[in-house]
Amino acid sequence: MTSQFDIDIKGFLESSFLDWPGQIATVIFLAGCNFRCPFCHNHGLVLNPNEYPVLNWDDIKARLKKFTGWIDGVVVSGGEPTISKGLPDLIRDIKNCGFKVKLDTNGSRPSVLADLMENGLLDHVAMDIKAPLNEVAYARAAGQPGFLDKVKESLALLQSSGLPFTLRTTVVPGIHTEKDILLMARQLGGVPNWQLQYFNPENALDCSLRKLEPMNRDLFNLLDEKAHQIMEQSA
Amino acid sequence: MTLFTKENCGKCDKIKKAFDLEKLGINIEVIKPNDPDVLAHLAWHELVDLVEKGALPILVLDDSTHINYELPVRRYLERHIASMNQ
Amino acid sequence: MTSLQETKLGPVGFQLDDATDIAVFVRSSDDDLKGWNRQRIVDALLRETMIDKDTADLVGQEVETFIRKTKIKFVSAPLIRELVNAKLIELGLEKERRMHTRLGMPVHDVKQLIMQQNKENANIPHGPEATNLTLAENIKKEFAFLNVFNQEVGDAHMAGDIHLHDLGFIDRPYCSGQSLEYIKKFGLSLPNALSLAKPARHAEVLLAHMVKFAAALQSNFAGAIGWDAVNLFFAPYLVELDDRQVKQLAQMLVFEFSQQAVARGGQAIFSDINLYWEVPDHFVDVNAIGPGGEYVENEDPATREEKPYLTYGDFEKQAQRFIWAIFQTYLEGDGAGRPFFFPKPLVHITEKFFKTPGHEEFLKLICQVASEKGNTYFVFDRGNTAKISECCRLSFKLDESDLEDAKTPWRMRYSAIQNVTINLPRLAYRAAGDDTKLMALLREQIELAVEAHLSKRAFIEQLLAAGANGPLSLLCMDHDGQGYLRMQRGSYLIGMVGLNEMIQYHIGAQLHESDEAIRFGLKIIANMKIVADKYRQQHGMHFVLEQTPAESTAYRFAKLDLEQFSEQAKDVIKGDLETNEIYYTNSTLFNIGAEMNPVERIKLEGLFHPLIEAGAITHIWLGEAQPSAESLANFVTKTFRWTKNDQVAFSPEFTSCRKCYRTARGLLDECPYCGSTDLEGITRITGYFTKLSSWNKGKLGELKDRYRNQAVFAKPASTNPAETATG
Repeated sequence: MTSQFDIDIKGFLESSFLDWPGQIATVIFLAGCNFRCPFCHNHGLVLNPNEYPVLNWDDIKARLKKFTGWIDGVVVSGGEPTISKGLPDLIRDIKNCGFKVKLDTNGSRPSVLADLMENGLLDHVAMDIKAPLNEVAYARAAGQPGFLDKVKESLALLQSSGLPFTLRTTVVPGIHTEKDILLMARQLGGVPNWQLQYFNPENALDCSLRKLEPMNRDLFNLLDEKAHQIMEQSA
Repeated sequence: MTLFTKENCGKCDKIKKAFDLEKLGINIEVIKPNDPDVLAHLAWHELVDLVEKGALPILVLDDSTHINYELPVRRYLERHIASMNQ
Repeated sequence: MTSLQETKLGPVGFQLDDATDIAVFVRSSDDDLKGWNRQRIVDALLRETMIDKDTADLVGQEVETFIRKTKIKFVSAPLIRELVNAKLIELGLEKERRMHTRLGMPVHDVKQLIMQQNKENANIPHGPEATNLTLAENIKKEFAFLNVFNQEVGDAHMAGDIHLHDLGFIDRPYCSGQSLEYIKKFGLSLPNALSLAKPARHAEVLLAHMVKFAAALQSNFAGAIGWDAVNLFFAPYLVELDDRQVKQLAQMLVFEFSQQAVARGGQAIFSDINLYWEVPDHFVDVNAIGPGGEYVENEDPATREEKPYLTYGDFEKQAQRFIWAIFQTYLEGDGAGRPFFFPKPLVHITEKFFKTPGHEEFLKLICQVASEKGNTYFVFDRGNTAKISECCRLSFKLDESDLEDAKTPWRMRYSAIQNVTINLPRLAYRAAGDDTKLMALLREQIELAVEAHLSKRAFIEQLLAAGANGPLSLLCMDHDGQGYLRMQRGSYLIGMVGLNEMIQYHIGAQLHESDEAIRFGLKIIANMKIVADKYRQQHGMHFVLEQTPAESTAYRFAKLDLEQFSEQAKDVIKGDLETNEIYYTNSTLFNIGAEMNPVERIKLEGLFHPLIEAGAITHIWLGEAQPSAESLANFVTKTFRWTKNDQVAFSPEFTSCRKCYRTARGLLDECPYCGSTDLEGITRITGYFTKLSSWNKGKLGELKDRYRNQAVFAKPASTNPAETATG
């Protein structure tokens, strides 16, 4: 650890136009994750975080300050950031520097999320919805059992918070069927901001997935359209 | 700090007369039409177009921001001296 | 000559010349066979060189004796000519030999050319027209060296000290920028044309005139054809059109220019269209020319007394309708969803832009196009100075006389006559660390560039002097009291390649590596500018610095330096020495692969832009990523407010499938729609989009290096984390 906070920053993108629509954002990636999603593309950070040297937060902060005004906010991503003990301290420090904060989370730690929200430390949250909201499906997609209730709790928190948030689902052939995705659309009905993401098998955590043919783009686009239609209807 | 001035610039001369720039540790750079070093220096501080507009004198502060025209420069230097004397 | 015997032409029809007793047949350049006649050699020497008659006779006799001895039956005219040249060398008549030389190409090269793709300019496809173009260019290039430029300039080009662009177009100026007003007012009335068209009455006809005129201009200029304020000048024709018709017109405009690859050399017209959301101040009070080439009458009884005609300020809404439809078209892409390669849309971002209602939505649209298709060029015109940009990179502030021109906008036509680029890294190799020597060498090279420009100007003026009956009759066409090409307003471009490598060799750090490197770089460019300014005063010619696009020059210089200065060059040349995919960094750009965030790149590269009068640009390579339009709009706005950067473009990458005709994001190995591997990669090469299959090795090397704003993960153990973190 090379920072005053109990966090390990393993990756860094100074200015992204992609990770926070409307903002110019810095993205930092924290080590470690409590999920083992077979389709994870950042699995180095999840399985072998110690192989990556830790980046010094103070160095990053010094860089960020050079771009005050230009950079609007910081996206804290991972891995799963909410398992880092020092997360609140880190975010508080980011806010003190005058940047907005977006948190990327898998929703497994609603208590952390609630604390951060209560203390006004977050400006945006992006949360993964890995599968339809039932125990078996969720455990399979997350690679770990027992998190469904936590995810639901986090979802409820977001919905009642008034904070802008985004839900994201990576569509993985072999893990999700079309039915699954449409079921999710019904379950999430009324959430304004749910994005389906196209899965790139090349670098998946589970090597058997790496051999998968990527999903046909047309099918993906069609599915995306169908799912959002259902969503609008149930809204 | 650096003060960019030109020859035959009345406002620049007024600043030069009103303050002991050397004592304040301010370098004076006189902009001549064919001097590549000055032009490069102006470009470094993003001042080429300001000089073209004739917005002289220009005082470049240590944090690389700048103040231009006589009055703002005068006011800044007065405040600067006041804070030094405190 | 066996090849001649193979043609199986018998002696029938040969003109046996009585004056000779030798039985040799000559295949002449007039496509026929003639009997031997020594006098032809003598005549040619007397006609083409300064030689005296006795020497000419002597040469003729000796060549004849030689041919007689060989017992050869058929000879070609070129062979005789070379035999004569050999004789002239024997006699020490080098000057005469040069005058008597013959231009042409070896059979092997011609075959290669016909069979294989030309990689010098990715905008030229491969086909019979393209081959014609290249063949003609080769001969004109040789002609230029012999006849237009002095030997010092020619040698400097050959050696790679400087690069004279478009030598194959020696008899044309470089590029041209104009407005639609000329054809709106005068119709399409071109010299030597078979018919004359009066000013257009309908928008579609105006478009047809525009496209044809652009093609005519392409035949008279080497490079880009630019159009000013296209949406505004179309506006008076749009009043009667509904939204669907306006959209269709926009589609016609974009498709016409993007599919024009059927004219000169099978080459699309390198076309720029300049566009404004607002009505630029210098056109607000200018009378609008409408259908039939007439001023549009003001039909409002309340105001017509004092304002009999409508002005362009009255057409803001129409102009906006059109620019919106144009960008909708770019967003949709072509029939396969690919980005359009041409025309390049340049949107001018000005103070007034941000004060014009609707600009937020419009900015979002053009940023969406930038993100999804990459077409948009954002041109920053700060501080209320009127600017136009026309040929590929030439843009400039309008001075007093230009603003006067703006009142009669058909007169607004500008041209750059030639472009000469200086190989900067080589100067560093030669200076070997000595600042004074470096600056002296730099001055020398600029002087050479000026020499080259003087020669080109003299040559073009000579062609123009022949007027309406000469080769450049189109440029002499005179509908408004002056020739179409306003030579006295012409610019002469001085470009540079490899500032980054020059600095790297000279002070040991690249531009992105230290402030000192940037400051030294600024000093180099400031020196170039001041020297160019001095020559401007001395010759009364408009010498301006420009960022050379250097599509092939960056490769050519690197290759030549690796041969001639290999010890010095191998440490700073970019790309892959193994595969020979090598290049120098373009112009004043920073290392293409440096992990610089876009904010820093746009700020730091922008420091150079105020010194470079003829337009400068920063490229942000996006790769596969498709950024949020709102985030790009945010970035563009801050760039306008907080930097001196002149122009920015964002470049995504695409894969287009030749099997299912679909297009996907990123450079892929397999089509995500149909799985085919028969694919074509597409991205921006320098100033325009094109297919990767046509790229030269240098640019392919650069493509691999392009930093695409990916996340930086400190790589396991091998790299220094601090270094990676700070990019």
